[in-house]
Amino acid sequence: MTDAPGLTVAQVLAELDELSFVASRDMKAAMTAIEPFGPQGLADWALAGRDLFLFDRDAGKAFWRASARLAGVTGGAGGWVGQARAFISFRGSWKALTAYLAQFAEAHAVFGADGVLEWGAVGLAFARTHLESAEIYFSLPPARLAGGRGLAGLHELITPINELVCARGLPAGLALPGALDVRDAFGAAAVAPWAKRGADILRAGRLRGEAFFRLEGQDSEEALLQESPGFRSHEHERFLGLVAQAVFGASPPLRSLGVRIGKRPFIETDGQSLFMPAAFPDGEEALAAFLHHTGHLAFGSYDAKQLDALFSEMGMAHPPLDADQRITWRPLFAAFGDDMPRFQLLFDLFEDFRIDARIQARLPNHVPRLLALAQVVPDGAVRPYFEAAVASLEMLVGRRPLVEPWSLLAGEAADILTAFRLARAWYAASGWPAVTLADRQAAYLPGRSPNSQRPVYPRKDPFGAEPPEPEANEGGPAAEAAARAEREATGGQDPDLEIPPEDTSGSGGRVGVGRPQPASRSQRRPAKRAEQATGTAYPEWDYREKAYRRDWAHVQERALTETDAACAQGLLAQNAGLLRRLRRAIQAEKPQRLTPLRRQLEGGELDLDAAVDYVTERRTGMSPPAKIYRERRLLARDTGVLLLADLSTSIMQRAADGNGQVVDRLKAALLLFAVTLEEIGDPYAIAGFASKYRDAVSFYPIKSFGERLTAHQRAVLGGLSGRLATRMGAAIRHAAAQLAQAGTSRRLLLILSDGRPADYDDGGDGRYLHEDTHMAIKEAADRGIHAFCVTLDPGGGAYLERIFGRGHYVVIDKLNELPERLPQIYLRLRGA
Amino acid sequence: MRSLIDRLRGVERDIVQPPEGRSPYYEAQGNEIAVFEAAWRKRLPVMLKGPTGCGKTRFLEYMAHRLGRPLVSVSCHEDLTSADLIGRFLLEGESTVWQDGPLTRAVKAGAICYLDEIVEARTDSTVIIHPLTDHRRRLPLEKRGMEIEAHEDFLLVISYNPGYQTVLKDLKPSTKQRFVAISFQYPGAETEARIVRTEVEGLDGDVARRLVAIAGQARALKDHGLDEASSTRSLVYAGSLIAAGLAPVEAGEAALVSPITDDLDLAQALREIIKAHFGA
Repeated sequence: MTDAPGLTVAQVLAELDELSFVASRDMKAAMTAIEPFGPQGLADWALAGRDLFLFDRDAGKAFWRASARLAGVTGGAGGWVGQARAFISFRGSWKALTAYLAQFAEAHAVFGADGVLEWGAVGLAFARTHLESAEIYFSLPPARLAGGRGLAGLHELITPINELVCARGLPAGLALPGALDVRDAFGAAAVAPWAKRGADILRAGRLRGEAFFRLEGQDSEEALLQESPGFRSHEHERFLGLVAQAVFGASPPLRSLGVRIGKRPFIETDGQSLFMPAAFPDGEEALAAFLHHTGHLAFGSYDAKQLDALFSEMGMAHPPLDADQRITWRPLFAAFGDDMPRFQLLFDLFEDFRIDARIQARLPNHVPRLLALAQVVPDGAVRPYFEAAVASLEMLVGRRPLVEPWSLLAGEAADILTAFRLARAWYAASGWPAVTLADRQAAYLPGRSPNSQRPVYPRKDPFGAEPPEPEANEGGPAAEAAARAEREATGGQDPDLEIPPEDTSGSGGRVGVGRPQPASRSQRRPAKRAEQATGTAYPEWDYREKAYRRDWAHVQERALTETDAACAQGLLAQNAGLLRRLRRAIQAEKPQRLTPLRRQLEGGELDLDAAVDYVTERRTGMSPPAKIYRERRLLARDTGVLLLADLSTSIMQRAADGNGQVVDRLKAALLLFAVTLEEIGDPYAIAGFASKYRDAVSFYPIKSFGERLTAHQRAVLGGLSGRLATRMGAAIRHAAAQLAQAGTSRRLLLILSDGRPADYDDGGDGRYLHEDTHMAIKEAADRGIHAFCVTLDPGGGAYLERIFGRGHYVVIDKLNELPERLPQIYLRLRGA
Repeated sequence: MRSLIDRLRGVERDIVQPPEGRSPYYEAQGNEIAVFEAAWRKRLPVMLKGPTGCGKTRFLEYMAHRLGRPLVSVSCHEDLTSADLIGRFLLEGESTVWQDGPLTRAVKAGAICYLDEIVEARTDSTVIIHPLTDHRRRLPLEKRGMEIEAHEDFLLVISYNPGYQTVLKDLKPSTKQRFVAISFQYPGAETEARIVRTEVEGLDGDVARRLVAIAGQARALKDHGLDEASSTRSLVYAGSLIAAGLAPVEAGEAALVSPITDDLDLAQALREIIKAHFGA
């Protein structure tokens, strides 16, 4: 370094002139702005620039180009010059430097003159361990880093990440963008556990870890769910379901939309299920939204006939269907072109009002709740829509007079077509400001949401009449999972919007394939096959013929070969507390369960009737035996039970609460049942069943009546898995034959199922196997066997009464309770 | 009038009493009165079916009053033996004395005998009613070696509530088919509101209607964790608590939620329904 600053600057300029014309021009252009720094500052600046240029041409150019602006922002202070120079220590750091220089002005504004240097220092520290992290850090908007709290905000974000960088070598840049979102959504305290979890996952697998930090995938979903504040939908599914059951007489299946950061919690629907956001700000909004959307399903917003009428109103013969037989909405709105959001808003405004009016008639606090939630009125173009919605709701609760057009929608006679026509009339009358798609969501009251988010399955049956497709259909769980994944993938943003408009005009265009035709079912197994079928043949009831089909279903007894002793042990250990409680309950019950034996020769108390008889007979001169006591003694209960478990594929589904599979609870329940019954001492047997076509109904005996529970049987219970379908009637007939051998006078057939009877070859006629199962139950009753069904299907009430009869089934809609409830149900059934 | 009733309260009375005073309040839901009267004219035994608290007992009280016959009620439990129904020998001083049981008393006096929840009783007691329920209309008293020809006006009525705890205790078909059955359901909304209003003195009609609306929705939760749905009786209780000055939401909690469930989600759902109708 030379003594005379002026000389240095001249030297640098001369040097640059030789190297690059552009560089020296850039430097000269910036020089005037740097002059206020004084001669020494100018010299330092020039040297820094030169060094940077020699280190990396792009770095140098970026430095000179940014200089004028930065000098203007900072005034005389040259801290940035030193920091920029520090980038020389890192090979290939020009990108990071460029980002630093580009964000410096904003950082200065956010953090202040001193803070900005600290901001820079943090980034340089990142660069020391991982240059890319520094690049990412500097490219993040400083305002977001500060989170509205200046340097304190920056530190609360960086500190937990820095700890992980030191302790576990986590690349900071990987975690930073996600951490910002997490902090925005869930607060600063959520960042540390989230990042820690991410670091763990990253260690387990790089791809999984990276996906986690991008806030994608299952791991991230779970972590974010844990952090979600407010009302977490998945924890309250049963509560919501019960409310819907009470209000609408049925509850829709719920699916998760996952965590959506920074978006309003809109419920979506495909006409069958509701797709719930992971969290709502509070329970009130969640409940309002849930009821509103269930109302759409219950009051015909997605009814096939209504939708047909809607599309024919727009001159389309049939609603266009996609490959999955869903109606896509875009063609309906195609006529409105770019103005579509405006029409959709009006349409939704009327249709939502119609639905809320119907719900209000059943739940008098529905509209008041919606109004209480709608406190913050949005600004901008959407304001009139929002205000119209509020005003219309106020009419429903008498705060304003109910006037047209709203009065036309407030009765049971109104349907979605009424709403559509009104929307067209209002659209034509104009006066409603145009709205962009992006703004649109602000127009909806809390609890409401756009009604045409997803393609919908038109509803053929009224809500609650029939659950959707039967469980056993083409393909196994894998095919179903794939189909579901495909279906879910189309959610989120309006898939219609991705279709080019030219494809949506006319009566369907590319998206429509017209009316669904019943798929022609190929007879995949020739009837002849059954003739060679092995095993025990049972008749099957054909309700259409009102006759039995002789030797129709063939049951083969097979042994389950899969065992998992560790799993059985684990499940028993896991449920040790529950088991202890059950044992205690059984023991506590024992004295009461003891049947008093009357007229005994000895015993604990006098039998009054016997004593009086004795005295009477003595008086009359006879010498009766002195049987005047009664004693309570354990009397072997004369009840034999066969537990028949449905082992069809559906038990392999993930549990609705997201923790594990249905089969896990099933295993636990069977194990606890077995252990409890060993304790009680009642004769019992356990068997499973599954089926594929009528000639292959598999019956898996797991434990028979005579034997005690062995370690091997436990291991078999531990290794249970699902397979194939549910031909319940044949299995029940076979089980009834086995029960006849139980040797007890009271015989109970306990059927544990998770869905309706169905098989691959029932031709889509669900009723056939229903009726057959019903007949099998009647046959069992004739043999003196009581059948009772424990089902995990929340919609079971709809068909089980017809099959098993009133009071002969119980729906367990809380899967977690199954292990506890199953032994209890048995105890209750057999009588205390 | 009031003083007369007061004098009767807390006083031992014989179980066979001809009906007196005003007729108990009963609101017909369907043709049950006509069916019962027809069965009465032909002295056919009657089975009342229906959920708890829907008015079976009240109906019978009403019919007994209407027909002017005494009513003898026996609540059956699992230790109830035939001796408890028919009677037994008792020691009195140096001799034994036969004491008639309630059923025998009713058979002799020509009363209506009501065996409530008959499935709960031991099987030996259900069998002894068989000869009473067919053309013989006789009650055998084995211990005394005799048989009683039923009084001309005697009528046997049982109640039976099919529920899942009684699957194994179901009445035998041979028992069931001896009866004429009348099925009860919870009354329709308007009827039920009228019942609640009549039962609870001074209850506002609007409150009664809301209570009924709550019950209607709560009953949809049967099979979803509720073993017994909100009964008309529990609505009357809730109405009484409100009439006694309790806030409606609290009254609902005390009469319609806490008694019927310990399940948290279910209780929350029920509370939500009550809140919906009574606001809060």
